[in-house]
Amino acid sequence: MTSEPLTIGPVATTRRSRGWRIVIRVLIGAGIVALYAQAWIKTEISVSALVTGWHGMLDIIKRSVPPSTDVLGDALRQSVVTFDTALWGATFGVFLSLLLTPFAARNIAPNRFMYEFARVIIGIARSIPDLIFALIFVTAVGLGPFPGVLALTVGTVGTLGKLFAEAIEDMDMGPVDALRVAGASKTQVFLHAVMPGVLPTFVSLVLYRLDYNVRSGLVLGFVGAGGIGFMIFNSMQLFQYQQVFTELLVVLAMVLIVERLSTVLRGRIV
Amino acid sequence: MIDGTFTELNDPGAAAAPGSSASELLRIVGLEKRFGSGPLVLGGVDVAVRPGELLVVLGANGSGKSTLLRCAVRLLQPDAGQVWLCGQDLATLNGKQLRDARRQAAMIFQQIQLVRRRTALENVAFGALGRLSTRKSLAPRLFPKELRNEAARSLERVGLAHKANDRADRLSGGQAQRVAVARALCQRAAVVLADEPVASLDPQASDAVLTLLRDIAHVERLGVVCVLHQPDLARRYADRLVGILNGLIVFDRRPGDVEGAEIDRLYVGEPDDE
Repeated sequence: MTSEPLTIGPVATTRRSRGWRIVIRVLIGAGIVALYAQAWIKTEISVSALVTGWHGMLDIIKRSVPPSTDVLGDALRQSVVTFDTALWGATFGVFLSLLLTPFAARNIAPNRFMYEFARVIIGIARSIPDLIFALIFVTAVGLGPFPGVLALTVGTVGTLGKLFAEAIEDMDMGPVDALRVAGASKTQVFLHAVMPGVLPTFVSLVLYRLDYNVRSGLVLGFVGAGGIGFMIFNSMQLFQYQQVFTELLVVLAMVLIVERLSTVLRGRIV
Repeated sequence: MIDGTFTELNDPGAAAAPGSSASELLRIVGLEKRFGSGPLVLGGVDVAVRPGELLVVLGANGSGKSTLLRCAVRLLQPDAGQVWLCGQDLATLNGKQLRDARRQAAMIFQQIQLVRRRTALENVAFGALGRLSTRKSLAPRLFPKELRNEAARSLERVGLAHKANDRADRLSGGQAQRVAVARALCQRAAVVLADEPVASLDPQASDAVLTLLRDIAHVERLGVVCVLHQPDLARRYADRLVGILNGLIVFDRRPGDVEGAEIDRLYVGEPDDE
């Protein structure tokens, strides 16, 4: 008896709007096609350019074998610099993110103002690419790995600040409420209920970000922030493709090693 | 929804002036709560808990039972009414004062409430955080020796001394609830509020938890409020039964004085949502 209006209601509205729904679907479909079409034109996608350019690519590949062995030592040293840049960028970034997180998670933020403030800082750090920050810091503190560290610090705050806060927002509030009722202060609740709850997530996010920083640090080298990226950039400029090949092999090895390490660490800690 | 049929009042002995009675650990007067612009979840609830008493609150899903407990410790802010906890009006307090006053009440939840990556003993000790300085409570390792001993005694009290060093996520549901009771003891709370503490437990574990709750009421002279879903368990363990329907108390009496039909009426036309 009570279920009657429930079944009649939805069915009736469905019938009335079926025509509309088809129209809307067609419009959405046309919109998507238009979106792709304009993107194809704007980006000047051209099959013929790809075919003619193929020779150029083959040429470069031919000119890059065999990889040059005389830059190997330098490449290894510089890849360590890139890793170091990533490491300190991640470390500073994690530290700053941890300071911001208690304010940036809605469920534990002390008040609305602090929450918005923390979110704006994180939002700015995230919306501007690492590369732009690197350019700014290169101008400010000069060429070398240090501006890279600064840029990666900001980038790390941008992602980890947000992801840390979201991990806290998604966490089980049971322990938090229980400790709150027990009269625990905000600091105590954060240390004993929030942190243990989200620690595995945090560790895996930090390791992921370290991994990302290694790859991003590479690109930052292109704008003068040191490391192996800077080396690759210079070799490219001088058309030394055999050097580039060696440097890329070193990069590949480094990225794989870091990835492996972070997987192993994550397995251990989480 | 809220009509005049619910005229039954609390037992007359409890109707003393708000906050004045030393024999009452928790007194709730005219409590009202609504969420946003929705209907009243609690429509003026009066209830009192005395030491040595296990009070069981029965009601359908969405009747306002959990909201009542959460308002009682100000995890939720009531819209009207007063909450007197050990003679203090919680609504007048803030910050440190509120934290200190609230410490008199401990809460036990239905879902996961222990910090999973910490040991049972540490979880019990967390009950005492409110009395610890920030410096001494930065990490469980820094907790004072006396606190560890007290936590161990509390665990022993609930029969789980042998689980002290097990991580909380290794405990069974029933054991976890008993650890939560131990935490309440370590908190030195005067009132324990349990929100469906046996909802996800098998009958044996349910009995163990409820026996324990009744014992800490009768032996340690705490006031225990327990929201339950199972009328038979409620009858078996309660010293007093309180029925809530649509945010109003419809009976508040000893279990022997409550008729089966009165309890059945709580669950008629039960809404689907909590």
